[in-house]
Amino acid sequence: MSKRDRHGNMRPKEGGKAAPAVPQSRFGPMFSHFRDELDEHHDRRERIIKASRDVTALSKKIIFSCQRVNKLGPLPRRTQEDIDNRMAEIKAHLTSIEPDLASLNRYRYAHSLRCLEELVEALVFAHYLRTQTLLDPDAVEAAVPASIALTEYDYMYGVFDLFGEMMRFATVTAAQTGRLVGGEVVGVGDDGGAAPQDDSSGRRRHILADFHELSVAFELLPEVHDRTFRSKMEAMRTSVRKVEKLGYGIAIRGSERPKGWLPDFKDDHDPGHDE
Amino acid sequence: MDSDTKMTEAPNTRLLDPKIFDHLKNKIDEDQQVRDALSQVIQRLDRAISHVQGLLSRVHATQRSQYPAFLAQVEAGIQDEITVIGELNEMASQHPYYKYNQKWSRSIQNSIFTVLLCGWLGGLSPNSSAESTEPQQGRLVTIEEVGSILKVPVNLKDRDSFHITIEEYLFALVDLTQELSRLAPNAVTLGDPALSIQIASFVGDIFAGFQVLNLKNDALRKRVDGVKYHVQRVEEVVYDLTLRGMVPQGSEDADKPSSS
Repeated sequence: MSKRDRHGNMRPKEGGKAAPAVPQSRFGPMFSHFRDELDEHHDRRERIIKASRDVTALSKKIIFSCQRVNKLGPLPRRTQEDIDNRMAEIKAHLTSIEPDLASLNRYRYAHSLRCLEELVEALVFAHYLRTQTLLDPDAVEAAVPASIALTEYDYMYGVFDLFGEMMRFATVTAAQTGRLVGGEVVGVGDDGGAAPQDDSSGRRRHILADFHELSVAFELLPEVHDRTFRSKMEAMRTSVRKVEKLGYGIAIRGSERPKGWLPDFKDDHDPGHDE
Repeated sequence: MDSDTKMTEAPNTRLLDPKIFDHLKNKIDEDQQVRDALSQVIQRLDRAISHVQGLLSRVHATQRSQYPAFLAQVEAGIQDEITVIGELNEMASQHPYYKYNQKWSRSIQNSIFTVLLCGWLGGLSPNSSAESTEPQQGRLVTIEEVGSILKVPVNLKDRDSFHITIEEYLFALVDLTQELSRLAPNAVTLGDPALSIQIASFVGDIFAGFQVLNLKNDALRKRVDGVKYHVQRVEEVVYDLTLRGMVPQGSEDADKPSSS
């Protein structure tokens, strides 16, 4: 504020009205209050974004560890240890932002918490490798190492991303073993549902059957008017096609191919992979 | 990392328990129903707001002497807004506030704006019972007052319920300075330069207030950036008036001095 008004007269020092400690204008206190509130909000958001980034990175690392597994069934000890260590770190990050997500703030920052999707993906994928079943929402919620409520979209989008991981898993194992993971070399279409499904019998469902069951379940969901949903649905269809093609290739040429032959898929253990 | 309890419960003959997707389907349907119901209320709110905004646009052609009758109409219109906001409050409070707030945020901003402008012009006086003679212009309705006028809580932090946010109030405040910057030249045309001077002082003070905020590079920041043009416009009017000696005596002290 200039010392003189537009007539060139000196302004009175804090004249007339009350309001002693007004720094800039008569609305100063009001805006100072708003500033404090907004700063608090921005700081909180910043903390959440940082933690979320770390949790995303750790979840991806869990997924990479899982991708190094080449069969269904109990995870190798080293993989499980790796997962446990990463989960401990994730726990630390998530519990640090627990207070920031209390009450109405859970949804306020839902957008900055995309790490939960990634975490769901990691949990669901590890569980799939172990048991060849889909972890349900309550079990995922229980496995999240902090009291942060998952939304149905966190779960759904995480499971959507499972397709990408299953596709990579199917592809890599097919390259290593010359057949689709689970089930037998012949009878790709056989869903194995009738057979008792345990390790001793050696008969599991084919992974392609799982692809079909899970993707049909998604296709049957009511339409969600959301760009993320649509793009994930597309990605899912692409993954299913790829594994169908893989299964077909094995059924046709499987017998002619030497073990260790790599099919024409470029996605291997690519750390930049971002599903 | 996960208790394999589920494994023992369900035989492993299936990949997934069909209940999972039934659950998801129900959630999606529920979500859609809530959105549809909210849309209907918000549509009615928008209609009420747009009526009040239409009424308020008459201010640019209304003499100050006619404000009492004019403001009475506006206040009646705002009553309609309040009724619908009451319904929205009730419906929205059943769900997490931030899950759906982007659906109505814009409407609530507009509604706050009608309250701010009406209040600035002298309406919605807090002591109407005290039989104030003439409406006084230049009052800033605070966010708390907006809350009590619209009968909704303000800036809730510990309770997940419908409320007015600080951001919504600030957005509406920018709408107010914009509208006043249009009124400033029109007041001169209506032969009321004193009102323009008052606007200049007010808008200048609001501008100074916004300087206090640490704005991030977001929508609010973009909107607030526009305030300087509103200041500029009213200062031009004041400049024109000053140049021609048209500034009414004493009008400047009616309010606090502006920071031009």
